[in-house]
Amino acid sequence: MANDNSLTDDLLAVHVNGLTKNYGQTQALKGIDLSIKKGELFALLGPNGAGKTTLFSILATLRSPSAGFATVLGKDVVKDRDAVRQSMGIVFQEPAIEKRLTGRDNLELMGLFYGLSISKSKVRATELITSLGLEEGADRPAERLSGGQRRKLELARALVTDPGILFLDEATLGLDVDARRAFWGHIKGLTESGRTVFFTTHYMEEAEVADRIALIDAGNIVALDTPRALKSRLGGGVIRLSTEDDVKAKAWLIEHGYTTESHSKELMLIHPDPASVVPELMRNLNVKVQRVEVHEPSLEDVFITLTGRKLAGETPAGEGRGKGGKWS
Amino acid sequence: MIRGIYAIVILDLKRAWLDRARLVAGLAQPLLYLFVLGAGLGASSQQGAVEYKKYIFPGVLGLSLLFSAAFAAIVIVFDRQIGFFKAVLVSPLPRYAIAYGKITSGAIQAFVQGVIVLPFAPLAGISMSFGSLIQLILSMFIASLTFSALGVAVASRFKSATVFPIVSNAILMPMFFLSGALYPLKNAPHWMQVATHFDPVAYAVDLMRGSILGVFYFPPALSITVLVLFVSTVSWSAVSVFKRGEDDSSLGATQFNWRR
Repeated sequence: MANDNSLTDDLLAVHVNGLTKNYGQTQALKGIDLSIKKGELFALLGPNGAGKTTLFSILATLRSPSAGFATVLGKDVVKDRDAVRQSMGIVFQEPAIEKRLTGRDNLELMGLFYGLSISKSKVRATELITSLGLEEGADRPAERLSGGQRRKLELARALVTDPGILFLDEATLGLDVDARRAFWGHIKGLTESGRTVFFTTHYMEEAEVADRIALIDAGNIVALDTPRALKSRLGGGVIRLSTEDDVKAKAWLIEHGYTTESHSKELMLIHPDPASVVPELMRNLNVKVQRVEVHEPSLEDVFITLTGRKLAGETPAGEGRGKGGKWS
Repeated sequence: MIRGIYAIVILDLKRAWLDRARLVAGLAQPLLYLFVLGAGLGASSQQGAVEYKKYIFPGVLGLSLLFSAAFAAIVIVFDRQIGFFKAVLVSPLPRYAIAYGKITSGAIQAFVQGVIVLPFAPLAGISMSFGSLIQLILSMFIASLTFSALGVAVASRFKSATVFPIVSNAILMPMFFLSGALYPLKNAPHWMQVATHFDPVAYAVDLMRGSILGVFYFPPALSITVLVLFVSTVSWSAVSVFKRGEDDSSLGATQFNWRR
């Protein structure tokens, strides 16, 4: 196992080397290497079953790897599990608050679970309530808070010990746009004060806020870069076509020197100058074109070109997410 | 660790306080045994109704402690489903602290229910000296701890909130009937007297009865020893459920195992 020297280790929030996880015969992670710097806002994207949840769970000490190692803030997630737990916060996809108790009660209890004294956990709860703007509902049973406030309470719960790293698993699922924006506003603030945030999401526009994004597919990280760099890999723009006979159209396109994305199930072209080429296509294509869409490459497009699969997995029609998802 | 146990206890007591109507409803069962069953059976017993009510009062107290401890333990089955414990399980809190916290909070809840039954003692014809009241309260305390430990050890093994009450009744009712709560053990058939020796409820009820009436079936020192041993063994067994296995409290799952 290649160990980086301690100097770089000091700067790393997450260091993963050759990480493998098997569930019986299936290999969920096939030797992941990953380094995340302290203070980074890092997104992990991938379709269901790609290994996203497994990687997330291992880093958050919820599962143990089959081989390889992972450190979080310099501590091994297996050997130093409790030390990792002491220095991390986690927001689950599903609620992890006792909804019959007040927000304040929830936070005070969580403080005690993390070993704060009674008076300190009281002080900490008040601090968090103030800094997240939860004063109004803090003394009401949590079940009577709005969805957005409840998520903020989840975030507050994860921040009780002032963790150096925060794990968010689909933390904004089901929130409306405003509530999501407010949530990410707080997260941004956290990274600015030097905390690392590692998150998974289904919403593409959320992934765009990340400093770096890892795309995971079939147990491997297939791309790892800034959102901008990932999208510029495609260069130019994306053209999507819907025709009366896609097979015929595809044959025509290939015949005439266009490269279609072979992975994609739809007709998708990446072209340096879409504006000039679309009129020509419309005029000359030998099948009737029903719809044309031209847009900047999205993360979804990057993922499709890399893997031939949509990020959201094989979701029902109309469930396309992000900018590139819907094309009508 | 102590803070963690304290936090579990506070969590459970706060939740129980929201359901405080249970304390009043919980009176129904013991009072029914005492004043209906007691009056009916007592009238045809050799002791007469008054003496019989006196006799079964500690048994009814035991019933109350036993069932409220079991009810408090049901929460554990629900806690698998609510997310709060998911957050507790990723805290550095050791798992055994959860088990001890649960046992403590169940014992407190049972004890409080028992204390509420206590004022009905004069109506059952009981008058106690201050000394025997103190003895009784100590016995109730040991009994609560015993029943709570038993409840937690059983409940932590169940995933279904509908199955647990049925199973716990199947365990608790025989323990209660064998305990001599409702009839003197010394007149019971021989096999029953033998079986009673393996029933912790019998020792607990006998301790309480001895405190009130001054007559013990088992030597008190034996009862205390048996109960202390029982509590330690059963707590250890509860702890082992809470901390065994790999931690697969998987994300996205609505249920998870206590086992790690």
